[in-house]
Amino acid sequence: MMKRLSGEIRLYLASAWYSYRALYAWQKFGPYISVKLAFPLAQMLLFLFMGRLAGLKDPLYIVIGNILLLPATNGVAGVSMTISGERDFRTLPYLIASPASRGPLFLGRSLVHIVDGLFSTIGALLLGVLFFHVDLTHSNLTLTALCILLLSVTSCGLGLILGSLSLRTREAWTITSMVSMAFYILSGVNFPVAVLPKFLQAISYSLPLTRGIAAARQALNGADWLSIEPLVTGELLIGLVYIIAGYFLFIWFEKRSLVDGQIETV
Amino acid sequence: MRRSRMYMSRSFKRARYNPLPFIWKQMNVQFRLRALSIFSLGLLVVQPAVFSAVGYLLARMAGKAVPDLVHVIIGGGIMGLWSSLVFTSFFDISNDRREGILELIVGSPTSLSTVLAIRTLTNVLTGTLSMLLSFLVVLLFFRFSIPLQNIPYIAISLLVLMFGFWCIGLFLAHFRVVTRATGMFINYLELPVAILAAFMFPIEYLPRWIMWLSNSIPIRWGVTGLNSSFQPRIQSGTIWQDWGTSIGISLLYLIVTYFLSRKVRDMIRVSGELSSV
Repeated sequence: MMKRLSGEIRLYLASAWYSYRALYAWQKFGPYISVKLAFPLAQMLLFLFMGRLAGLKDPLYIVIGNILLLPATNGVAGVSMTISGERDFRTLPYLIASPASRGPLFLGRSLVHIVDGLFSTIGALLLGVLFFHVDLTHSNLTLTALCILLLSVTSCGLGLILGSLSLRTREAWTITSMVSMAFYILSGVNFPVAVLPKFLQAISYSLPLTRGIAAARQALNGADWLSIEPLVTGELLIGLVYIIAGYFLFIWFEKRSLVDGQIETV
Repeated sequence: MRRSRMYMSRSFKRARYNPLPFIWKQMNVQFRLRALSIFSLGLLVVQPAVFSAVGYLLARMAGKAVPDLVHVIIGGGIMGLWSSLVFTSFFDISNDRREGILELIVGSPTSLSTVLAIRTLTNVLTGTLSMLLSFLVVLLFFRFSIPLQNIPYIAISLLVLMFGFWCIGLFLAHFRVVTRATGMFINYLELPVAILAAFMFPIEYLPRWIMWLSNSIPIRWGVTGLNSSFQPRIQSGTIWQDWGTSIGISLLYLIVTYFLSRKVRDMIRVSGELSSV
């Protein structure tokens, strides 16, 4: 049992290390940082100006929401891209043919994206403080950090579900992009979920980001553990459901693809 | 002897080059590629719909029943056109390279720049679908009324805007060929240009210190012209100025693109760097 567990951990870390070397090790610090800061800044500014056009009085709601979305989008896009990237580079059949456990293999590859998402969030928070006067003096920073970490992990489940589609369609990455875009509406980033029509509220609360973002937002406003505990627990549970669903969906798609001989079918 | 002379005279009689079949075939292939791609659907329909929905819901949150339709809905359509153009025109060459047809294109008698020009034009035309949808939404769902006398202004503004998009798309397509390193930042070019050209909010919101950068983008002037053409009272002097500036800057981009295309030609034919494309 212990031997198997240590093997899985070794596979997880080796997978993360390969992913780091393939995607990040060759990048230069300057361009990497500028790109990391440019996107969140642009995203915040666009929605901020749109909020101003709408006549919103509290632009910080949008700024903070978009900062908190970063770890989640990195988690979703990172895991999905990891699997669809294998397909694009024609290495997916080799991985499928290998006896390695799918969980540590693919989730390990997403570890660097999670870490990258955390760096992006820290960078975006600094931008928020510098340019938009986000006040962190009353924030519960420990709880905020915990919520951000939680968002990074729980969002991986949705990424795994979307990435699994790579086994059956070439458009998994496109679908992931579209779903990630829907977060601007559904996850309470730019406006409270209560603004949405009822059926969209139901979808919003079934996503693994909405509660996490709400909890992080409250922690940034100085809330203590007791007040955000239900949100954190809900986020954790729903995140686990998505991770388990994603894992089994991947296994199912893999089996189906092997049975009908249609890995990378389209 | 007489017969061979007759053949010679025939062979020297060159057929007049008709570019239309070439243009049609290129556009046909490009249209089919776009029509069958879910990626295009996402860029042309889903993305503008999401941005417009955010604008609409923000307005609702602020207590307004109807948002600023020109910026929120039609601006969303322009955003769709831009996103589609930036990702298609920029990555067309990469796709050719990956599929192994770049060599065939370069080896054909038609220059790579001509192929890129037609493809970019097709991408702009495909992108207008996004704008057409936004017009339909505004007219059918929100019952937005456009005064009849504004229609010629709107039509000219759209043409000026599309010309600006074509020039910038062509520039980006060549830029990709010159240096492959641009691939990293192009993903992050989409939103900054959307902000600098103020697709979804009034240009006056931008801080003054960044206006020089905004003013150097032709579509920024095209968008201002289009927005003005929707106003009940059109100030023709201002709108002509916007159109003129947009066309002028677009032409500047075309000149730069011409020099880029010469560099590309040299890279391919003189220094044999096709693989670097």
